[in-house]
Amino acid sequence: MSATAVAAPAVHSLWTTAAAAPIHAPKIEYAQLSPILVVLGAAVAGILVEAFVPRRARYGTQLAVTLIGLAGAFAAVVGLAATGYATTKADLAAMGSIAVDGPSLFLQGTLILVTAVGVLAIAERGLEPQSREVPHVDAFAPQAAAVPGSEDEKAAARAGWSTTEVFPLTLFALSGMLVFPAAGDLLTLFIGLEILSLPLYLMCALARRRRLLSQESAVKYFLLGAFASAFFLFGTALLYGYAGTLDLGGIAKVVTGDAAPNAALNASAHGDALLLIGGAMIVMGLLFKVGAVPFHAWTPDVYQGAPTPITGFMAAATKVAAFGALLRLLYVALPEMRWDWRPVMWGVAILTMALGAIVAVTQTDVKRMLAYSSIAHAGFLLTGVIAGNKQGVSAVLFYLAAYSFVTLGAFAVVTLVRDAGGEATHLSRWDGLGRRSPLVAVTFALFLLAFAGIPLTSGFSGKFAVFSAAAKGGAVPLVVVGVLCSAVAAFFYVRVIVRMFFAEPRADGPSVAVPSALTGTAIAVGAAATLVLGVFPQWAFDLADKASVFIR
Amino acid sequence: MNSLLGLLIAAPLLGAAVLLLGGRFVDRVAPVLGSALAGLSFVLGAILFSNLLGKPASGRAIDSDLFTWMHVGTFKADAAFHLDQLSMTFVLLITGVGTLIHIYSIGYMAHDEKRRKFFGYLNLFLAAMLILVLADNYLLLYVGWEGVGLASYLLIGFWQHKPSAATAAKKAFLVNRVGDIGLAVAVFLMFTTFGTFTFQGILHPSVVSSAGQGKATALGLVLLLAACGKSAQVPLQSWLGDAMEGPTPVSALIHAATMVTAGVYLITRSSAIFNAAPTAQLAVVCVGAVTLLFGAIVGCAKDDIKKALAGSTMSQIGYMILAAGLGPIGYVFAIMHLVTHGFFKAGLFLGAGSIMHAREDEVDMRKYGGLWKKMPWTFATFGLGYLAIIGFPGLSGFFSKDKIIEAAFAKGGTEGWILGGAALLGAAITAYYMSRIMVMTFFGKPRYTTKAEGGTSPEAHESPAVMVAPMVVLAVGSVFAGGFFSLGSRFLHWLEPVTGHSEGHSPVSTGVLTAATIVLMLLGMGLAWFQYGMREVPAAAPRSIWPVRLARRDLGQDDFNHAVFVRGGTRFADGLAEFDAKGVDGAVRGVAGAVGGGSSRLRKLQNGYVRSYAFSMFGGAVLIVAATLFMRAV
Amino acid sequence: MSGQSFLSTSGTEIAFVLVGIVALGAALLTVTTRQLVHAALWLVVALGALAVEYLLLTAEFVAWVQVLIYVGAVVVLLLFGLMLTRAPIGPSPDADSRHRPLAAAVAVAAAALLVTVVADAFRTTWITLRPGAGSAEANGIGLFRAWVLPFEALSVLLLAALVGAIVLSRRRAARPGVHEEADD
Repeated sequence: MSATAVAAPAVHSLWTTAAAAPIHAPKIEYAQLSPILVVLGAAVAGILVEAFVPRRARYGTQLAVTLIGLAGAFAAVVGLAATGYATTKADLAAMGSIAVDGPSLFLQGTLILVTAVGVLAIAERGLEPQSREVPHVDAFAPQAAAVPGSEDEKAAARAGWSTTEVFPLTLFALSGMLVFPAAGDLLTLFIGLEILSLPLYLMCALARRRRLLSQESAVKYFLLGAFASAFFLFGTALLYGYAGTLDLGGIAKVVTGDAAPNAALNASAHGDALLLIGGAMIVMGLLFKVGAVPFHAWTPDVYQGAPTPITGFMAAATKVAAFGALLRLLYVALPEMRWDWRPVMWGVAILTMALGAIVAVTQTDVKRMLAYSSIAHAGFLLTGVIAGNKQGVSAVLFYLAAYSFVTLGAFAVVTLVRDAGGEATHLSRWDGLGRRSPLVAVTFALFLLAFAGIPLTSGFSGKFAVFSAAAKGGAVPLVVVGVLCSAVAAFFYVRVIVRMFFAEPRADGPSVAVPSALTGTAIAVGAAATLVLGVFPQWAFDLADKASVFIR
Repeated sequence: MNSLLGLLIAAPLLGAAVLLLGGRFVDRVAPVLGSALAGLSFVLGAILFSNLLGKPASGRAIDSDLFTWMHVGTFKADAAFHLDQLSMTFVLLITGVGTLIHIYSIGYMAHDEKRRKFFGYLNLFLAAMLILVLADNYLLLYVGWEGVGLASYLLIGFWQHKPSAATAAKKAFLVNRVGDIGLAVAVFLMFTTFGTFTFQGILHPSVVSSAGQGKATALGLVLLLAACGKSAQVPLQSWLGDAMEGPTPVSALIHAATMVTAGVYLITRSSAIFNAAPTAQLAVVCVGAVTLLFGAIVGCAKDDIKKALAGSTMSQIGYMILAAGLGPIGYVFAIMHLVTHGFFKAGLFLGAGSIMHAREDEVDMRKYGGLWKKMPWTFATFGLGYLAIIGFPGLSGFFSKDKIIEAAFAKGGTEGWILGGAALLGAAITAYYMSRIMVMTFFGKPRYTTKAEGGTSPEAHESPAVMVAPMVVLAVGSVFAGGFFSLGSRFLHWLEPVTGHSEGHSPVSTGVLTAATIVLMLLGMGLAWFQYGMREVPAAAPRSIWPVRLARRDLGQDDFNHAVFVRGGTRFADGLAEFDAKGVDGAVRGVAGAVGGGSSRLRKLQNGYVRSYAFSMFGGAVLIVAATLFMRAV
Repeated sequence: MSGQSFLSTSGTEIAFVLVGIVALGAALLTVTTRQLVHAALWLVVALGALAVEYLLLTAEFVAWVQVLIYVGAVVVLLLFGLMLTRAPIGPSPDADSRHRPLAAAVAVAAAALLVTVVADAFRTTWITLRPGAGSAEANGIGLFRAWVLPFEALSVLLLAALVGAIVLSRRRAARPGVHEEADD
């Protein structure tokens, strides 16, 4: 190549210009990215398993690959945290795309654990009615492309097919979730958002029972998610127009005036509209993911339609990732703007808490009720975000860890209560469950009490932490509204408990399937986390407190 | 020693965990394991007791900080235990009587399929009760308080297949919630007033007085409400009679000897608050005096032996509450009566259980009679318990109850006369109803026909040794505990550093009072003997004059509750349903109105159409952008 | 290059405005025509005009990507979609819905927002275009240095989408009693 260049220097050539200005290789800190890389590796391995491992061995192999990958990723997170990346050595990695700091590692650790528990519920194959020919039946459609109710679908079910692709898809979603709260710039944030969303859209469509509802929920989630992504992108463009950079830290510097904004803006510093509208639109994109009012409308439909193990995983993990990203955006990129975003977030938080709690009261389907409850909890979490201080960050981190395990456990219990049509999700079918299967009812009651925030459950510790942080941050009226909404919410949680223990069981009531060790473990871990974080929350508080400083 | 304190609670907690979660593997060892862990707990308690005795009287306390539960901002709550003379007394009573009743249950529950659960619940109860009395702050006390409530609920409804048991459990649950609200409010009030939950930080005269008398009175009243719920005092007494639906060992342990005395513990523990709030104290003595008569009268009319004993429990706890309400002149005697009552009432219940065991769960005393020949051990131990409770000179009840009557008179003034009079009258009625039970059960001719004689009843027989032994131990306690405590004012000196004590000056001399008590006791006994011993006891309750009928119906407690609470509650619930239909729906629409404008929008918003959802998102986005810009503009 | 102002327009700027008008007109026709195929073709014009705009802004690489992806792939996909779903060729009166004013309002609002925000932010600022700033080289350096992680992550997204598409659309003939398939 260079010979040509020497021989004919006058000829313009793409080759020579490339040689004249070589691209310096980017600096990638593989060790610091290892949690994400391990999960991605496991996901790719899962796809290879789909391609090469015989069908009979696929389920076991997938489960093993997934759990080993998760274990490796968790070990990586712990290793990074132990070597000080959460505190003193916190840094931006991969050319500023990924922030490796306390909140990142805390949330990544939480997400990996949550996914591990979620995968246990996803892997359950003992709840659906089985036959001698088809000894293992999971919660997913045997052939998603078959027309619901068609002969094709029945034949696929008889053939005992299963969609083991959910395991790599779950890992893909997890990898997006790991990127999401750790993103150091808006572009990475957006791509993390898409990576976490797409597999979830897909998995929502895979319910074995009530196919139409499931497909409908997936399409809804997809369309609305795309709409929300559009908001997010639009906002990104506007913010870039304002700051001339996509780095969260860089944006913050431009906002404070420590760095020059976009060269073009030097002459006339009139970019506040860009900043305000851009920031608001990005926040909206994130508020959609956490299910805050007025971007909540998808939540009940999708939670109801998706396969219940996926609902549990989605409800728990998406919230963790999205709140992590919201915290990072507001605390790293827009801290100086808090006098602008705080009043608006006040309104959003109040509406979210109130609507979630009030509408949940009239719900008759347990999955929809849990969906509205998750909306209300998004509101409670927002109060912690609004606090605007370090205590608020650590409170939200704790709340996320606590809430996600309660959610996983609650949805795992929902998969157990069944009748001929699959899961019996209508609340009236839960009457007198406490008589029939006390252990399941007591466990579910524990989760409901945690949702309601009764002391000695993790829900209380979390709620207490966010409310006290918000009160300290000067949002006392918000806390009052929060407590009132908690009271309303407690009403419908307790109503379910009353139904389970004090109502007469119905003769044609649902049966409670005996879970295999997988779902059993998932529920047990959820219950244990609920109790441990309720009775001994202090170590987790300390951990969250240590992990609550963002790197810029 | 600190670690022993944790171990003391851990032993039954471990038992509960193993037995309740262990599944069928532990079915066979359940009774022995449960009893052994209860026994271990008692041994640890005894070791701690000897350790405390070795310390000087003023420094007899062991503290054990387990862990910090939560530390958020100024809010700090520890799981920490505090063992002093007062809690030590309770620990020994709970674990001692608890162990005996565990052992008794090995025999009593031998044929029950759910034995494992039963012992699990009993262990759970022990652990919760120990947390309650060992907590060093009100928050942890509340945890134990709810824990014993849970165990009590589970055990009352243990025989769920009986609808009456399920109903009784629900009733106990609901009534107890009312009292628990009192304690919860008290805990909140304490934190807002004092900024802490710990006994050390609150229970000091200077601290309490700094809060002002109004606060102290309010605190005292809500604490009294809590005590009323747990200790079955008027007006929250109605659940105790129904609680007898539980297995008899449960009635003995939880609903006679220990849990129901938690209210007395609470008031005694909070003495600093009550001392600063005379109005609250007055309320306490009124509740105590009313309940001691109420329970006694109910006890006179019941034919069900357990319900009669339950009335008696109510009445005896009334004595304790009365004493605790008297202030420093009464605290020590309240606790002393509590301990002696623990012995004899547990013994009486175990005796009743022994009879039921022999008579296939027959509880109607009209179908007893002449059992003393068939069940000599039960008769002897029950008889000693009987003599103790009516205050027969020289036995436990005589010492402890006399002191309370004396202290009531020592209150002074008209109050003193009224309270003392009530206590004296109560003693007479106690003698009457206890003699009635005694006579109807053990004396006279048998009022049943055994199967051998062509009837339906089984032949009565003495219970196995594993049941008799605990009864004997408790009988020994019923006889000697009071005398042992009173000799040289041992109990007084033991407890005084915690509760404080001041001698009252009774307007009537001690000798006269003692004589009056004995005379009234004999009168009661005589009347019972005249009514039930001299005449044939009819197999069916005769139609009686209205006061007796009223007493049979628990003095109308349920009618009252029904009229006031149930009917009122129904109306309230109807209103709530109305509110639910109109108000909540309206509120839902109101929220929707705020979101999308227009009251029926919510239905439209959640109509399932993606385009509507998208539109609502767009509307929300416009609103948020507008609000953001508006905030900057203003 | 300095000293330029809005009053002394260059040829490039005039071309930019003219092409912009073409893009706007084509876009309007796309949403107003009653023939679905025409709409697709008008879309080609609008997107193509956008590509020309990119070229005029010196962003050559982006311009060709625009042509390849949007004019090439997306519109062809659209046309195939129309063909495969046997959409009517010729005017279709039901292509319109009564939500037209609403859609117009949303579009106008979005456009107004963008225009006001950009106008408000940049006002009279003059940005001088440097040839080569939007070249493939500059884009490549940006992609493979600063944005290498998002770029690689994007490939993960595509992989996940691929897997998902297969899961959702794959159909196998199910033969009862046969659990193992030879090919998969």
